[in-house]
Amino acid sequence: MIYLFDGTTVGFLTAFVQAFTDENAVVTSKQTQLLLGEEVLSIPSNERVASKAAERLTSFDRNALHDLDTLLRCGMEDNEQVAFRYFRLMAKTKRPIGRRLAEPDVFHAVEYMKKVGLEIHRLHGFVRFIETESGALYAPIEPDNDIADLLLPHFRARLPEYPFVLHDVRRKKAAVYDGKNSFNAYLPRANVLICADEQGWQDLWKGYYHAVNIPSRERLRQMKGYMPVRYWKYMPEKQN
Amino acid sequence: MISEEKLTILTESAKYDVSCSSSGSKRKNEGGIGNGYAAGCCHSFTPDGRCISLLKILLSNDCIYNCKYCPNRLDADVPRATATPDEICELTIDFYKRNYIEGLFLSSAVCKNPDYTMERLLLVVKKLRTEYRFHGYIHLKGIPKADPRLMQEAARYADRMSYNIELPSEPSLKLLAPQKSKESLLTPMRALTVQAEAFKEEKRKGQVRGHFLPAGQTTQMIVGASPEKDGQILRLTQALYQKNGLKRVYYSSYVPVVQDKLLPEVGAGQLREHRLYQADWLLRFYGFSVEEILDEGENLSMEFDPKCAWALRNMHLFPVEINRAPLEVLLRVPGIGAKNAYKIMEARKYTKLSFEDLTKMRVALKRAKHFITCDGKFYGAKQEGMIRGLLAEAETQESAEQLNLFSMLSTPQNAMIALHGQL
Repeated sequence: MIYLFDGTTVGFLTAFVQAFTDENAVVTSKQTQLLLGEEVLSIPSNERVASKAAERLTSFDRNALHDLDTLLRCGMEDNEQVAFRYFRLMAKTKRPIGRRLAEPDVFHAVEYMKKVGLEIHRLHGFVRFIETESGALYAPIEPDNDIADLLLPHFRARLPEYPFVLHDVRRKKAAVYDGKNSFNAYLPRANVLICADEQGWQDLWKGYYHAVNIPSRERLRQMKGYMPVRYWKYMPEKQN
Repeated sequence: MISEEKLTILTESAKYDVSCSSSGSKRKNEGGIGNGYAAGCCHSFTPDGRCISLLKILLSNDCIYNCKYCPNRLDADVPRATATPDEICELTIDFYKRNYIEGLFLSSAVCKNPDYTMERLLLVVKKLRTEYRFHGYIHLKGIPKADPRLMQEAARYADRMSYNIELPSEPSLKLLAPQKSKESLLTPMRALTVQAEAFKEEKRKGQVRGHFLPAGQTTQMIVGASPEKDGQILRLTQALYQKNGLKRVYYSSYVPVVQDKLLPEVGAGQLREHRLYQADWLLRFYGFSVEEILDEGENLSMEFDPKCAWALRNMHLFPVEINRAPLEVLLRVPGIGAKNAYKIMEARKYTKLSFEDLTKMRVALKRAKHFITCDGKFYGAKQEGMIRGLLAEAETQESAEQLNLFSMLSTPQNAMIALHGQL
């Protein structure tokens, strides 16, 4: 049976409770995953059921909701199913299971959480801000995982005097810091007027990137391993 | 805005410095721009596979010294440039703001005299911290023989400082960098360590505020330009870690640049540099002492990594049972790194680990299988001779790519470029 939910945490927890005893359950919010011939059960979100489940899971592992949030942000196709199996095992074991790496359900969930954590760390480095006419900073990103708002606190701590926008272009979401407060916003598209010096600084940066390289020691595979090509799109130094 | 030409010259001259890390400082943002990122952060990677974390640049490449191995030595015919303090500060701020860099790594050739040079460097970091209100990472190179008061003041503004040892022994230094001496490099290093301790104590008592090299000190030496053996180099390294409290020692393999009768005609391979780093890791993270790794007059094995070589000399200690061996023993199994050792420690609390479990947990077993048992079962080769062969084979596959690289370094201009480079 396929348990189809709306993609929210409440929806997931409702589906989790419904699917719990079904050994062949597939929990997902993605229409694309539906297989022909499989029976589909559409699960309406239920606040009451969800909050009870959340409370139970938290009593087994106080990081449960944080881990669930991380897994639901994960961009892998089967992230919700992996979360389902992980929390089902936790509910059966009735204690934290995150370190039982020899259990495949745990290993997969931990791998997915790591993917999210790694991408956050990587993007702390790979985000590229553009200075706009008003002095605000704008950075388009296309992360694998839904993490724009998780990146924000890092930049807010180091750039407290600069309003900035982290724009997840594919998910049409923005994490915004207006110089005082942070919030999330729906942002299908952004028109950015760049400041007068922006191109000059970008050119200097490209020049620096070129000069600091040691051409005779080319190791492209290593470079791409550390900085996968999918992140290059918004990095000035990787544009010709 | 600094001109692109000047930036290029000052970057080209600085890029051979190995260090690039931005870790170890938790400096807070106190208004203005920037903060420390204790884990360190890479902002980009160049086609040579190295990371860009800091804006690595010289204030000037106009040098009065004539160290034989250096591309910026007095005699060298290279374009010269000097940046103004404001040019460096603006560049740092505008790159940082755009999230290109994690901070500044500032060094300089010795212009006029050591005091003058150190004064200029100090001026830049002071300006950057106070006028430009920058709280990001600053790594500052110390100038040997400069007034200790300048050094001490600079340490209040920088996150990390480094005096490069350059060569692993006094006679070699005398021969190849006659204007520097072992004392001129070690004295400031020791002084900074003592002062950092004193500062910590005063800060604990609430007598001072601020920072004093929160990310400590590092150093760098060139390997293969002089006759020292790895055993001697690693003993120096161990002493620097233990007695001088350094955070990192970097190595760069020598490749002949200049025709000089004092310098060897053949360079040290990058494999040697790689082996030294492996041994360095054993010293810092794996509980090894240099005496266990090799004798003073020896070089590291090219065939096996240092941990493998140690294990092969100590076969009577193996195999160890993966479900029972304490952490410090797991850490000594070839092929099992620190991360995997901790992973195993955790997982085995809940279940008896089998060979398949380790595979599922993605523990690499190519080397390790010859040195462990899983629940009493052994999966490695039966005879020591066979183990040797299999390990050597594993090693060759891994370094094949690296070996390819050596051949690319054989032209003089490549050699020059590789001189100070890092792996």
